[in-house]
Amino acid sequence: MDTGNKRVENERQARSDNYLWDGSGEPDPEIQRLEGLLGKFRHDRAAPVFPEIVRDRRWTFFPRRMRLFPVLATTAAVVAIAVVTFLVYVGKPAPVTVAGWDVSRVAGTPRVGPKTISEKEGLGRLSVGEMLETDHRSRASLRAEEIGQIEVEPSTRLRVLSMDSGLKRIALDRGTIRTFIWSPPGRFVVDTPSAVTVDLGCAYTLQVDDSGAGLVRTSLGWVGFKLNGRESFIPAGAACATRPKVGPGTPYFEDASSGLRTALARFDFEDSTALRRAGDLAIVLGECRKRDALTLWHLLARVDEAQRVLVYDRLRELAPPPASVTKEGILRLEQPMLDLWWNALGFDDISVWRHWERSWSEPATPVREK
Amino acid sequence: MGSRSGDRVDLLVAAPGRRPMREQTGPEVSEDAILVAAARDGDRVAFGHLYDRYARLVHGVLLAKVPLNEVDDLVQDVFMMAIRRLSTLREPRSFGAWLAAIARNLANDYHRRSVPEDQKADDTCEIDIAHGNTSGDHQGRAAAILEAVRSLPDAYRETLILRLVEGLTGPEIAARTGLTHGSVRVNLHRGMQQLRAKLTSNSSSKGPEQETP
Repeated sequence: MDTGNKRVENERQARSDNYLWDGSGEPDPEIQRLEGLLGKFRHDRAAPVFPEIVRDRRWTFFPRRMRLFPVLATTAAVVAIAVVTFLVYVGKPAPVTVAGWDVSRVAGTPRVGPKTISEKEGLGRLSVGEMLETDHRSRASLRAEEIGQIEVEPSTRLRVLSMDSGLKRIALDRGTIRTFIWSPPGRFVVDTPSAVTVDLGCAYTLQVDDSGAGLVRTSLGWVGFKLNGRESFIPAGAACATRPKVGPGTPYFEDASSGLRTALARFDFEDSTALRRAGDLAIVLGECRKRDALTLWHLLARVDEAQRVLVYDRLRELAPPPASVTKEGILRLEQPMLDLWWNALGFDDISVWRHWERSWSEPATPVREK
Repeated sequence: MGSRSGDRVDLLVAAPGRRPMREQTGPEVSEDAILVAAARDGDRVAFGHLYDRYARLVHGVLLAKVPLNEVDDLVQDVFMMAIRRLSTLREPRSFGAWLAAIARNLANDYHRRSVPEDQKADDTCEIDIAHGNTSGDHQGRAAAILEAVRSLPDAYRETLILRLVEGLTGPEIAARTGLTHGSVRVNLHRGMQQLRAKLTSNSSSKGPEQETP
């Protein structure tokens, strides 16, 4: 009997082990329960924005066993030059400026990499490849003479991706930044987990939560928001949300009716039925004011063909298109026609965006649709 | 910031101090080599694929050692460090093992960094914040079990977390960490035995009403 029990127990154990090993065999209820409970801690965060990869150096001139030789020779030469330079210029230290941002502590203890900026020091430097992090009590201010100023709110994490002469780029992984940019339009880009934000001569606030969802609110000038071909332009007074794997939603003026804003959020991001979407679109069209032509213009490219006619008609009522813009062209989403109509809305000249877009959108592609 | 205590993660069972590596074979490993080569040539999309493939491994390795609310940030740090050091990886087929080593080092660095006492948080609280305490008992039970796993010997906790939390199978754990199938299987078996004993003893010490699953 004992032997029988032992055999049964061994068999049960073997089945359990198989399930634990590769999920095969008879499921073990206890392991299943643990999987169910612990599975909620599983990794589910989208890929962050990766910086440019420094290409692998390929040694071809020297054979494998001599690869250290050029390194040693170079090191020796550098040391010799450094010693000579030091002897020549001793007493005349020249300031060395590394491309990056000056960091001022505003509150708490912001961190640049592993280094904390204490109240006593107050200042630091954030260079390419480095990360600035604030905890829930810390705030910091970044400033670069040729770019602008960024206020970093608590619980924020950002990284400097590049400080090239043509393009300054940071990644906001989470938290809130308030930017005031004085560099020429299109030169300052913020990558977030769900969209790329391009400054077009402005001041704006950008928030990213832990899920990677973002919100941009423009207070001056305008901002471009883009992911995988989906783009939004957000002029002063307007806001635009963005979601991972979806990209930027439809921009809206913050003083638009709450009904419009709620329906728009559902239309942009909720996985609802065609009927529900049609209902939400009807609310948006019904509650639009002349100023909300901003929202309707963006919707033209985000609705299906049948709905596009409705959006076109409503937009034409609120803001008639220029004579050269035809209904057929708009319904076919011809870019020059859409751009002409946008320019007639009086927000800003879209050619600024079209011109600069090429300079940052190709190498960016920081977020991939899964 | 959370608490920073603990020691080194070690996956060894039979001989502490050595990590039995096996030669990786199969399509997954050769795909890794191709992706690593492309990433080394500056292809960020290829590196993104490596992230998709290895993020759970890195997350599991870190979760075995650092507070839950620090793990996501550290996962990102691991990949940022990897992207910077990619050119130093000698054997592209060992990308997973190399990445896991970076994660373990980063977890150790995390514990070495000094944190002001008032910034330390207790993990139960962190779990609530990170996941929203909508079902208190359920959440609390999950947190308690996670803590029980994390209290196991180094050799078992990482493997068990990769299996039970990250949902990787034993063969996947072996392929991605570079461990032999035998080592992973033994770690899972013994770790599970110890976890069962720990959970049983915890529930009997807390009384019958808390035993109910």
